[in-house]
Amino acid sequence: MSARALSNWLSSTALSQLVQTTHGAIAGIQMVHIVCLATLVALALSVSLRVAGRGLVAETLSSLAGRFIPAMWICLGLLLLTGALLIVAEPHRTITNPAFYTKMALLAIAIALTAWIASIARSRPEKRTKLRTAVAALYVLIWLCIIVAGRYIAYRI
Amino acid sequence: MIAEFLQWLQGTPLAVSIAEEWFPLVESLHVVTMAIVAGSIFIVDTRLIGVTSKKLGFSYVSDRLLPWTWGAFACSVVTGTLMFSSNATGYYDNAAFRVKMLLLLLAGLNMLYFQKVTFRGVSAWDLGRPPVAARVAGTVSIGLWCGVIGFGRWIGFTQS
Repeated sequence: MSARALSNWLSSTALSQLVQTTHGAIAGIQMVHIVCLATLVALALSVSLRVAGRGLVAETLSSLAGRFIPAMWICLGLLLLTGALLIVAEPHRTITNPAFYTKMALLAIAIALTAWIASIARSRPEKRTKLRTAVAALYVLIWLCIIVAGRYIAYRI
Repeated sequence: MIAEFLQWLQGTPLAVSIAEEWFPLVESLHVVTMAIVAGSIFIVDTRLIGVTSKKLGFSYVSDRLLPWTWGAFACSVVTGTLMFSSNATGYYDNAAFRVKMLLLLLAGLNMLYFQKVTFRGVSAWDLGRPPVAARVAGTVSIGLWCGVIGFGRWIGFTQS
């Protein structure tokens, strides 16, 4: 099935029709999507700062990651749920859009790095290296790029 | 007077270049900075409500995170002003834009009241459960910032 055919099929489904015809549904879903993304970015920034030995240093990395990373997975779950609803509601806006695939590729990297940070927080949390600091900075940058790519979906680069 | 100023503003070379070429990039940077502002505020506010970071003092959490909030907010004001300039008359007439500005003002007033009144006695509750006034301020703040995001997004649906 081609991307165009998939897009046409998705937009004809009952769920897509429901979201499309419910007043304010897309805006409401987008709002939840953005709130989750904002929370995720702030949590990622806090954890990354802590990996680099800055930020909330009064708490150990393992303790901070133990609190923040589960919250990040919850936000990520909501992000994927609302994102999936937006794709079903407006498939023509995403499925044939390069910006959407850029966002998805960056999201995959961000998920992998979240798992990596969770693992170093469990194993050797207080070992600080330049590599860890660089990866932590990259991690925040990727989340910011996810936001930019998400916004560019509306502009079709 | 206001109409003339807005017409002049959106006719400046900078505003015209944003409207014709740079709007997607400026808007993306605005969303990035707003995400950092709102997200960091959510972390501080949930501590203020007393549901997260309970082992850390409230003033410690706010001291460590609010510099990021203010830095991102300054960038957000710059990018927001640039976006506004690109279609000043349109934004000025937009109801969602006006509500967003009102919610921003209320969020500022809520923070100002908290800083001037409730925060004065922080030494008594810094490491413990915050008083009702602090928890109300945190809850109101989260609600207002969700509103800022919601109406900010709604501008895109209503702006021609």
